[in-house]
Amino acid sequence: MNRLRTLATVRWPDGEPPPPLPGFPASTFNPLVAAVAERCLAAHYGEPGPPRRTGLLLASAGGDRATALAIDTAAAGHRMPPLLFFQSNPNAVLGYVAARWQLTGPVVAVSPPEAAAPGEVPSDALELAALLLADGDADHVLVITAEQAEPAAQAGPATQAGPAEAAEATGAADRAAAVLVAAAP
Amino acid sequence: MSSSAPPAGRPVFTGLGVLSAFGAGPAPLAAATAGGSAAGFAAVTRFDVARRGTRRAALLADPPPLAEAVLGALADACAQSEPPSGAPLLLALHSDLHTREVAAEVARGAAALGLAGVARVYTGACVAAATAVADAAALVGSGRHPRVVVAAGHLVEPGVFAAFDAGRALARDGELRPFSSGRSGTLLGDAAAAVVVEADTAAAARGVRPLARLAGWGRSGDAHHVCRPRPDGAGVARAVRSALARAGVAPSEVGYVNANGTGSPVSDMAEARALREVFGEALSGLPVSSSKSVHGHALEASALLELVVTIGALGSGRLPVNAGWLGPDPEIGLNLVLSGPRQDARPRCALSLNSAFGGANTALLVAAA
Repeated sequence: MNRLRTLATVRWPDGEPPPPLPGFPASTFNPLVAAVAERCLAAHYGEPGPPRRTGLLLASAGGDRATALAIDTAAAGHRMPPLLFFQSNPNAVLGYVAARWQLTGPVVAVSPPEAAAPGEVPSDALELAALLLADGDADHVLVITAEQAEPAAQAGPATQAGPAEAAEATGAADRAAAVLVAAAP
Repeated sequence: MSSSAPPAGRPVFTGLGVLSAFGAGPAPLAAATAGGSAAGFAAVTRFDVARRGTRRAALLADPPPLAEAVLGALADACAQSEPPSGAPLLLALHSDLHTREVAAEVARGAAALGLAGVARVYTGACVAAATAVADAAALVGSGRHPRVVVAAGHLVEPGVFAAFDAGRALARDGELRPFSSGRSGTLLGDAAAAVVVEADTAAAARGVRPLARLAGWGRSGDAHHVCRPRPDGAGVARAVRSALARAGVAPSEVGYVNANGTGSPVSDMAEARALREVFGEALSGLPVSSSKSVHGHALEASALLELVVTIGALGSGRLPVNAGWLGPDPEIGLNLVLSGPRQDARPRCALSLNSAFGGANTALLVAAA
């Protein structure tokens, strides 16, 4: 399987902080996913327009560790910031992307056993994209991969630093890539 | 996850295992859902909830570790289906700091059962398991695998409980009342479940009688919001229509809907509108319930737990009761399965619906074997 036609591909520059994403605090993960998705969709579609049967597939081996840590820390403390509920699952940021670009295909999140090489998306995610396309509920699938730098996970809920400060403070780089695919003719 | 190409067939279920707040196996779960039992919900004592607005959930009294819970359901499903040697396992789990560790432990146990390890981990919130089932069906239906096993697990833990409480997603009055007047949110629940999805041709070749058929499946996105559902239910309706079209089943042939029905005021309303859009006037005669009202919301495992309940209802004809009912919400207008005497016909086809963060929607259409 895996007969795919690539419509656009984007690698987020290592170390470049993504723009803050309103409503998604405490972690660089969601801003990174939204930013790389935006660039990839813009590369092919140009601007958001009418509804498209495009599916969204997020593949992250590590997931949003900073949010997970923030939730665990807050649960053990005195107060849980309500916004952490909204980002307690990786699907949430896909809803932001889907709403902005009017993408009505399936919304899927998976955790591959190993992260892909920098600038690439996991091969299993491409295989799953091919399966989704063959299954018929989407015309295109945007495959996004994002891996958070390990030390950034130490930025708990008490940390007010934004993604740029977090990355700078840790010296580690988050990384992400996206590819928009269609079924090969 | 490639494989040699066996003959394609239609997906059927040949094995099933479940662990819920009512214990192991489908029988206690079916008895509880058919009776509309409120016994599953209790005060949370597993961890400190003193600072939470809601303090109840549907919990196992003495839960095993998550991987062990999943492996128990998996072992039951595989035993029922005969060991599906070499079959891939699609696993649904919450995405957190322990996901990889739990998946690795499940993979080791799955290998001991003869499976080909964990092929993929789905972390897509409340549609994670349904997405895995749909993918299993696509793999089986296209002939890539004769059998695919799907498993999922969720045990209520302090972080997610606190986040849902802070997000005002949990029922303020401690009662899960899907589609009812006075509903105020959901309650979480423990669950682990597993199913064996197999090509009907492969099952027939083994002389195995399926438990049910997976006649159709559909998936869609709302394209509306990070976590709020599209108010008109159009996304849910598209998923349902996709499942019906794939199966070649008319809406009039559906005899029961196990709705997502989280008890959320806005989500239940959107789902009711979706059902109205698909079924039209016939909706007034279509039995609908949310079995979450009995077993709680098991998040990543919810779709598989509810699929097990739905398969059981097809087999027994005993429809799950929509518990927690206080009275009608005039804007909902569903024919809810309430406790008390009913004269429902045994359904030949039933839908199990789920929706999630990100506007994800899934519809699984199950038919009697």
